[in-house]
Amino acid sequence: MEHHYTVRLEPLGKQIRVQAGTPLKDILFPYGVEFPCGGKGLCGGCRVKVLQGSVSLDEEHKRALEKLGLKDPWRLACRSRVTGDVTLEIGQFDTFILADSSPFHFHPRPGYGIAFDLGTTTLVAQLVSLESGEVVAVETEVNPQARYGGDVISRIEYAVLQQGADELTRLIREKFAAMTGRLLRKTGGTPPEKILIAGNTVMHHLFCGRDLAPMASYPFETPHGDACRFTAEELGLPADHTEILFLPVLGSFVGGDILAGIVATGLDESEDPVILVDLGTNGEIVVGNRDRILCASTAAGPAFEGTNIHMGMRATTGAISSVTVEGGEIKTHVIGNEKARGICGSGLIDAIAVFLDTGQIDAGGRITGDRERLPLTQEVFLTQKDVRELQLAKSAIASGLHILMDRLGYGPQDISNVYVSGAFGTFINLTNTARIGLLDFPEEKIIKMGNTALLGTKMLLFEDGERVDRILRKTAHLSLESNPRFQDIFADNMMFMP
Amino acid sequence: MEDILEKLTIAVKRGKADKNSPYPPDMKGQEGADELTAEALKMGFTAEEVLQKALVKGMHLIGEDFSAGKAFVPEMLMAAKAMKAAMKHIEPFFKSGSVKQKGTVILGTVQGDLHDIGKNLLGMMVEGAGWKVVDLGADTPFEKFKGALEEHPGAIVGMSALLTTTMVNMKGITEKIKAMNPDTIVMVGGAPLSQEFCDQIGADFYSPDPQGATEFLDGLVQSS
Ligand code: B12
Ligand code: FES
Repeated sequence: MEHHYTVRLEPLGKQIRVQAGTPLKDILFPYGVEFPCGGKGLCGGCRVKVLQGSVSLDEEHKRALEKLGLKDPWRLACRSRVTGDVTLEIGQFDTFILADSSPFHFHPRPGYGIAFDLGTTTLVAQLVSLESGEVVAVETEVNPQARYGGDVISRIEYAVLQQGADELTRLIREKFAAMTGRLLRKTGGTPPEKILIAGNTVMHHLFCGRDLAPMASYPFETPHGDACRFTAEELGLPADHTEILFLPVLGSFVGGDILAGIVATGLDESEDPVILVDLGTNGEIVVGNRDRILCASTAAGPAFEGTNIHMGMRATTGAISSVTVEGGEIKTHVIGNEKARGICGSGLIDAIAVFLDTGQIDAGGRITGDRERLPLTQEVFLTQKDVRELQLAKSAIASGLHILMDRLGYGPQDISNVYVSGAFGTFINLTNTARIGLLDFPEEKIIKMGNTALLGTKMLLFEDGERVDRILRKTAHLSLESNPRFQDIFADNMMFMP
Repeated sequence: MEDILEKLTIAVKRGKADKNSPYPPDMKGQEGADELTAEALKMGFTAEEVLQKALVKGMHLIGEDFSAGKAFVPEMLMAAKAMKAAMKHIEPFFKSGSVKQKGTVILGTVQGDLHDIGKNLLGMMVEGAGWKVVDLGADTPFEKFKGALEEHPGAIVGMSALLTTTMVNMKGITEKIKAMNPDTIVMVGGAPLSQEFCDQIGADFYSPDPQGATEFLDGLVQSS
């Protein structure tokens, strides 16, 4: 018999029923909670306060808490599982956490601000007190445009080829108004100073009502990528005087969400060259430092989100999220502690790494022997085509990195840090991402950042517009297809080098 | 005697271009397609024999492996490099007319799209199957297809698209090609396409992989 427990999240006032043993990380991630050290138990950024009920502790967790100087009622979300009904206060919303886990220094100002992460799939909005830096309330929803296709190209298709642009704009603006409207009720009547919205190029154009036709075919350059200002009235919000701004596009498919990511990682102020990579469908990559920034989108495709994989699925309950071998036997971890129904991106990477080590997949990606399938559990297996899909996706990212670094004259040793953003990035095993050649950097250089779009947008609430302008001035977009050697680089990076 | 053609077949399939090439690692130091072709011709095999019994055969084998998922893009590219190394020796015979190619295939990635890797693989396979390939590159508008068709009357057209926003451009181009000459055969392909789409736009043939295309092309030669 499987038990279910109720988890209440404060100050969000959300109540969720989950299976016994569900990791807190799985529950909190959708609410915009970040795991700054990638869930290693080192930074304390994911701490939660147990207000009611209990979360049991193991030895490792106890030691991690001690090191951080945290006592009861604190727990580290990244180390915790649900072991009973519980009410939690999300500690992260007290202070901002930066990548290096130092609190984010901000100049307090009166009033409130809203940071809105307008994703292709999910929408997250946080109401922030500009005085204390605290997150007062959070709203999350699915992007209502999703019914017209999961990826940006299908939205463009609907907008441009099927004349659905107005419909898409209406849908997203309505949802935006509803979500911010709910947040505004929590300010006690004070209109917010600022609402900042970050999204990719296509989300930008659809929200702002700009023509997407230039993004439907080569050369994919838009003249409408500038920051977009609105009055509250235009968007159907009661608040007046509020400054509402959609962050500008960096170039082609690289949008304001990545610009916010640059802010969140401090890439634009770093002396040493650093990398920001988003392991989503568009596979945006940024390489640079405070002097010069180059960005591109590598079009990795949705393999890391489980799409196009025979038994692939999103990182939700029932998905194999990690794979290891112990004593020659394959062990899987399933999200939500359930029976495995499929595999998500992080599990796929692990599985490939494991099969490479056991010799069941060779360096070219071929399944060895006469097998058609590589079983992971009784029901879940990988096919030859799955391996091929992963090779395309990982090579797209690796090739993009190669070309951008090459253009700036950097080798892997010159890069001080690699920041990985995106939901998927948070769950990956870094040894295995290096093993399969997806991110071939020393583990200690890689930092999982979670939702950098939201974090960066939040940080920008405390700044004037200048930082954004500075970033725009030093950032250039590179079209990867313009590289005549792309095909060879792409083929090389498909291999699994031992 | 026949031995050398077999060796050449394997060199092409495995992507061993010449003696100095380090790929594949397990064939290091062995003779590649370059040397083996020269030798075979010297030994008295006709260019036609070398082409059909070794090069076409080698490319067919790698094509089969690719279709079955046993080989992938890198292996295909290496095989094509080996084939090209061999073709250098065969080309003079095409020009002199002592070896005939099966016909001409005009290839291009459709207007608005720059994804050309799939189209390139198709080109290598078609060439490896004994056809003359005229590659128009990427972002190809109708006018370019038209020009090439005028230069190569009777040629077959192959179009590729990787974006759902550009594959629709295939429809207009196919219609215009058919308006020029309803007998021109148009093949289409690329990851987002399907047989259904091919039928809808009035194209003649679709295949998810190059192997299907070479078999279709060979069928045309036999039936004519
Ligand atoms: C490599 C790649 C690129 C490279 C292209 C380099 C190049 N010179 O081709 C780069 C990085 C430049 C690129 C850019 C873009 N890409 Co891109 N790209 C890919 C990727 C990773 C692999 C495509 C590929 O080469 N496959 C391997 C080849 C061998 O397969 P293939 O082309 O399908 O060809 C095979 C068959 O289809 C068949 N075939 C092909 N043509 C023909 C023709 C005929 C007649 C026949 C019979 C058969 C046939 O034979 C081939 C061998 O089997 C895919 C994602 C993925 N994981 O698949 C995205 C993908 C195709 N790209 C995509 C997008 C959106 C883009 C961009 C528009 C935006 C971006 N940057 O994010 C740009 C625009 C590029 C442009 N200007 O046109 C999307 C398309 C989504 C959609 N709904 O249409 C994909 C699916 C990724 C995604 N986001 O989901 N991309
Ligand atoms: S301690 Fe949990 S994410 Fe860093």
